[in-house]
Amino acid sequence: MAIDYSALYPVMVMVVFAAALPAIHAVAKSSRVLAGVSLVGIFVTMALELMYIVSGEYPAAIGGASVELLRLDVFAALFALVFLAVAFYVVLASARYVEKDRHQAEYFSLILLATAGMMVVAMAVDLITLFAGLEVASISSFALTAFRKKDKRGAEAGAKYYVIGGLSSAIALYGISLLYGITGTTNIAGINTVLAGMGSELDIALLLAIGLLIAGFGFKVALVPFHMWAPDVYEGAPDPIAGLLAAGSKKMGMVLLFKVFLVGLIAIKADWQLLAGVLAVLTMTVGNVIAVQQTNIKRMLAYSSVGQAGYMIIALAVATPYAVEGSIFHIITHAFMKGGAFMIVAALAYVALGENIANYKGLAKRAPFLAISMTLLLFALAGIPPLSGFVSKFVLFSAAIDASQIADQNWMFWLAIAAILNSALSLYYYVRVIKYMYVDEGSTKDRIKVPWSMTAAVAICVIATIVIGVWPDPVIDVCEQAARALFAG
Amino acid sequence: MYWSELAWLIPIFPLIAFVVIGFLGNKLFKKAEGGGYVAIAMAAISCFISLMVAYEILSGGYPGELFKQSLLWINVPGQDLSFTFNIGIYIDTLAALMLIVVSFISTLVVIYSVGYMHEEGEKKRRYYAIISLFIGVMLGLVLSSNYLQMFIFWELVGLCSYLLIGFWYTKPSAASAAKKAFLVTRVGDIMFMLGLFIFFVGFGGNLDYEHIFNFNFEDFVGGNSMLTLGTFFIFGGAVGKSAQFPLHDWLPDAMEGPTTVSALIHAATMVKAGVYLVARSYPVMVETPDTMLIVAIVGGITALMAATMALNNPNIKRVLAYSTISQLGYMFLALGTGGYFFALTQEANAGYTSGMFHLMNHAFFKALLFLSAGAVIHAVHTEDMRLMGGLSKKLKITSLVMLIGCISIAGIPPLSGFWSKDEILASVWETGAENPIFYLLYIMGILTAFMTAFYMFRLWFMTFKGEPRDHHAYEHAHEAPKVMWVPLAILAVLAFGSGFALFMGFGEAIVPSIEHWHAHSEDIAGILTTIFSEWQTYLSIIAAALGIYLAYLMYIKKSINPDVFVATPGRKKVYDFLLARYGFTAGYDWIGLKVVYGLSLVVDWFDRKVIDGIVNGFASITVHLGNVLRKGQTGFVQTYAGVVLAGLSLIVILLFLLGGLI
Repeated sequence: MAIDYSALYPVMVMVVFAAALPAIHAVAKSSRVLAGVSLVGIFVTMALELMYIVSGEYPAAIGGASVELLRLDVFAALFALVFLAVAFYVVLASARYVEKDRHQAEYFSLILLATAGMMVVAMAVDLITLFAGLEVASISSFALTAFRKKDKRGAEAGAKYYVIGGLSSAIALYGISLLYGITGTTNIAGINTVLAGMGSELDIALLLAIGLLIAGFGFKVALVPFHMWAPDVYEGAPDPIAGLLAAGSKKMGMVLLFKVFLVGLIAIKADWQLLAGVLAVLTMTVGNVIAVQQTNIKRMLAYSSVGQAGYMIIALAVATPYAVEGSIFHIITHAFMKGGAFMIVAALAYVALGENIANYKGLAKRAPFLAISMTLLLFALAGIPPLSGFVSKFVLFSAAIDASQIADQNWMFWLAIAAILNSALSLYYYVRVIKYMYVDEGSTKDRIKVPWSMTAAVAICVIATIVIGVWPDPVIDVCEQAARALFAG
Repeated sequence: MYWSELAWLIPIFPLIAFVVIGFLGNKLFKKAEGGGYVAIAMAAISCFISLMVAYEILSGGYPGELFKQSLLWINVPGQDLSFTFNIGIYIDTLAALMLIVVSFISTLVVIYSVGYMHEEGEKKRRYYAIISLFIGVMLGLVLSSNYLQMFIFWELVGLCSYLLIGFWYTKPSAASAAKKAFLVTRVGDIMFMLGLFIFFVGFGGNLDYEHIFNFNFEDFVGGNSMLTLGTFFIFGGAVGKSAQFPLHDWLPDAMEGPTTVSALIHAATMVKAGVYLVARSYPVMVETPDTMLIVAIVGGITALMAATMALNNPNIKRVLAYSTISQLGYMFLALGTGGYFFALTQEANAGYTSGMFHLMNHAFFKALLFLSAGAVIHAVHTEDMRLMGGLSKKLKITSLVMLIGCISIAGIPPLSGFWSKDEILASVWETGAENPIFYLLYIMGILTAFMTAFYMFRLWFMTFKGEPRDHHAYEHAHEAPKVMWVPLAILAVLAFGSGFALFMGFGEAIVPSIEHWHAHSEDIAGILTTIFSEWQTYLSIIAAALGIYLAYLMYIKKSINPDVFVATPGRKKVYDFLLARYGFTAGYDWIGLKVVYGLSLVVDWFDRKVIDGIVNGFASITVHLGNVLRKGQTGFVQTYAGVVLAGLSLIVILLFLLGGLI
């Protein structure tokens, strides 16, 4: 029987474009042409995924009837769109950013490949395909981080990322093998069926596997205490790549956790829900508290990302479709808010404005558009209405409160309280940047000119942030479908 | 295709005018009245659509008599937390009536403005931009399909009112009048918000009219006492916006704005938003007779009190402002009466219909009166009636149309004011059988009718008759240009004849959307027989005639010297008391300076010492903690790997502990 590969078409488009880029580079030595071609590839793939979501018809899963490997459903398509949107503005912002570098073709190629890996993760329904996708994405991003190998900070960041990444992969793989040993299958839904059949008896190996999987995949999400690589890597990586890591790669980590825990281990959720809650509070608090102290804007945004990941993990602890809906929604809004902020940093770094927060003094007069955009994005991150961050946080936190009304789950109420307090705390360091930009006088008043492609990348993020904030319903609707698809297995 | 389906376009056109004029006015239209023609064109287009839509709804051309359109805005599912907000359009006969009034008068006022504001130079851009914004948001308010949306537009019309009262913001009195209007209506707005909170919870997280009006009120969360509180607060919002006792004192000050603004916003449309709100909420309001009684009493008190203040004021616009407050009081009296009667007897009387009828008639004759006063001010450059006199020789058209307005508001048949005022008073008397307090309200209403006739003719006689008192102004006075008097003439026709709508089925068309509300339908002869076979009708006509006669004796025949009212210290005191607006102005200032400011000092102390102390303490703890944690970030990859492994071990131990294995 011939296998129907149509579910893989979007990934294939990405891979074909990634492979074509070095060949094109041989002919056209311009980073803008390469970026343009990449954008076409991303755009075609987006159109494909969007077509699936709008039509509501998805291709058959790949794999045998009993052991599926990859399945393109609304969950996978939605996350693929998020990853592609991130890749889109990362490429857009990179068009001029890498114009003086060598190996430009490889740079764009790797971005496309990393995105393809993430898309595979979103489609995976088997631990092996999941792991394969994860590695494709990881190895591409290691290389991207160290892209400027002559740059000491970049090289160091790449090395750190690689070492910790390798360690985490090993840990995760150990967890996967333990699960396989216990259940005899690597199919994620299958694991759950077996575990559900085993009854409530606790197994040391199973608990160990849970711990290993949280640690191994928690690395990608920068879950505390597996977060320490993140600020160093974000700071060292080229600015657009930092955006890719914060907005794309991190979201892939969330997908990993969702798939493994909410599908594969949902039958024994009582064993890990409280732990997830503890980690959520720990992650958001540590991330926000350290962010307060940062003087480098990229490090500040990195720690803020850690904090935001803490909010998203709430969905894991609450483990209801509504909470996952909120988490997916927050992932989408965060991709634009945080990605946009990184793009602004990238745009300003391109014109050689430093990365120190103090360098942003008086920016409102020098680059009014970037300053107002930054302000809107930071307010959105803090959760100020009517911007998108407010709505997504609202859905997420109210899910925790909603679930806390069930007996034995009253502690979930405190998740929402912790998240709200953390949001208030985060406002401090966001507003500090805004104060520097608007209230303080800069040393110079010269206008800053940034390339239009970077302005466009920022504008996309800002517009999405406002539109989703004012009219969130269509997006929430798709998130709800995705959450239901996830829970359906 | 129905016109109603195009209703969403109605507010769009004036908003386009706002954007175009606001941003490009001084570039594009410097020589074209600052964009006035754009404002006229856009207002006229939306007026045209409004009239078509209104006709379709009122004539029953749209199936189901009710046009609804709704977009889901925010929806949060869940059990106890679920709520839904929509953005939509809801046009019933009430909204259709408001559409006609608002869009039509808006268009006339903008046309009139071309003449009135001609000499304002670059300020014209601001004027036309804001007035276009006002028209757009006011129409949006009328079309809203739920309370939240209405509240958003409610605040926006308040903003426009603020900006236009303070149009000449370099004048201190205008700037402070704008502030006062904004702050005083804010008191009402906050009550409105509280009412919405109660509704939001009580009606299960959905503020759509359709949801609320079809709600089973037995299921209201909090029961009928909570519902009463909710409707009371909603009425509080109306009190602020429609300048009712005790939040009425901002409206006379609002006359600092251009006269066109006074006519459009502070007489014909925005101040009616409060009346509209109560009428809109009728299906809920009739469930709470206590609130309805309060509505009627507040309306009655306001009608009488404002009328007394108009008796001796020398400023032509102020007199009209008091008159507006007083007439709005009539409308609330009518609505309260109708609702109270219905709540008690489950039968409809003419209260609701006559209130809305008076709203329409008043919009026309009061816009006419204000714009006529504008033409007078335009001619003599003063608002003080003591400096006018004899102007009918110079301003022939203006004096004639204003006379029509005065007769209409005084309530002389067959002009429009008579029909609605008479119906209001009749329904108040009828309700007296249920609760004797309405007999008292009836007497107040008759007294108000007498005073209204008096002060309006005092105004007209002082302005247009007798000898000119300021010869310089008189010499330079000239009739208004065509662009001003044509709108006046159109309004005069309406002020004369809008009352005949009663014979064209107004009473059957304008009814609240309550299922068992049965309007009496009668033919023309029946209506006339009913009206003219009651002694109350003749009483109100006599009251009006007496008022006019007194004004005639005092200001034309001079057989009564107006000075007798200040002849003794006691009388002088009353006279000054009225001029000082019963001390309300001073009272507001006292509350602002003593109560609010004193409270602010306490809150300020608490904020700086207690709240800031806690916040600062928390902040310094956070900063220190951040510092400690930051030091852990050594930069060595060995450390990071070590932390990963230590963290993993801790997690596994924690899992074992939670699982009870250790």
